[in-house]
Amino acid sequence: MEHHASLLAQWLTHVLHLAQHSWPGFAHGAQLSVLERYDHLLNAALAALTTMALTTLVRKNLARIPGPLQQVFEGVVGGLKDMINENIAHHGEKYLPFIGTIALFVFFNNLFGLIPALSPGTSNWNVTLGAALVVFAYYNFHGMKEQGFGKYWAHFAGPIWWLAPLMFPLEILGLLSRILSHSLRLFGNIAGEHLVAGIFFGLMPILLPVPMMFLGLFFGLIQTFVFTMLTTIYLSGAVSHEH
Amino acid sequence: MKKFLTTAFLFTLAAVAFAQGAPAAPKGLFEGQFVAHLSLAIAAAGCGLGQGKAVAAAVEGVARNPQAAGNIRTTMIIGLALIEALVIYVLVAAFAIK
Repeated sequence: MEHHASLLAQWLTHVLHLAQHSWPGFAHGAQLSVLERYDHLLNAALAALTTMALTTLVRKNLARIPGPLQQVFEGVVGGLKDMINENIAHHGEKYLPFIGTIALFVFFNNLFGLIPALSPGTSNWNVTLGAALVVFAYYNFHGMKEQGFGKYWAHFAGPIWWLAPLMFPLEILGLLSRILSHSLRLFGNIAGEHLVAGIFFGLMPILLPVPMMFLGLFFGLIQTFVFTMLTTIYLSGAVSHEH
Repeated sequence: MKKFLTTAFLFTLAAVAFAQGAPAAPKGLFEGQFVAHLSLAIAAAGCGLGQGKAVAAAVEGVARNPQAAGNIRTTMIIGLALIEALVIYVLVAAFAIK
């Protein structure tokens, strides 16, 4: 796959006079600076900073009569709360900070695909894999915390004891492949959408990419929703007690 | 549908036979980027059929019981995302083929 660094990375390279050299086994030895090579990390960091800045801004200016930003965030938090309460049976709201952070991070990452000179951080597998690994570690940790170490791993063995040697490896395989499917779905969708918008831009830079960018906004929202929803479902599967 | 599938199958057979019958080329028909494009097309076709079926059922459900629209929509979106993921895997594989 060819590598296209975002305009921001190229501009920063130019302004900061970063050294450009070829990277072994990457982009056919093109001359890239460190920012152009790790473009996705620049964009992911930007998305994380945006998340932190916006949430801090809302938190600092909490008012009885909400301003526009606070109204938007109240809607987001309310929606997430409803989703968590629907899926996680008892006192699921303590997971709201984590799920909300992941949702906002993924959303801003997806949204950066629509801003000229930036590229979506999630169009690189490394970023989505990171997010998926964090989610994986989080729900396993909380599963073990809620159910106890032995009980949590025992429920992978299934209800019938003599089927356990067959079930346990299969369930573990399923557990591990969740990381792959969770991250690849987000990555593929955003990367594909960005690629198609780029091809349309190459055909005719004016007006033609607009419908594609609108679709990009829509898909970015849907994929954020799906990623968050699956995070909630995995979490609920891990922490739910069997009565 | 059956006719279409038969035609598609025969076409594939013909393509394979043609590829085998052709004089030794530097690179076969079913190698390289052509495979990526063809597999993506097949995956997209299957995904279209599957998603169409899912959306049709969801719309029917909403039409019969508009009060359940919210739940049906959420479930449908999750289902569509899971169906779409299969095409995305093929897309990733297509990226991987140089």
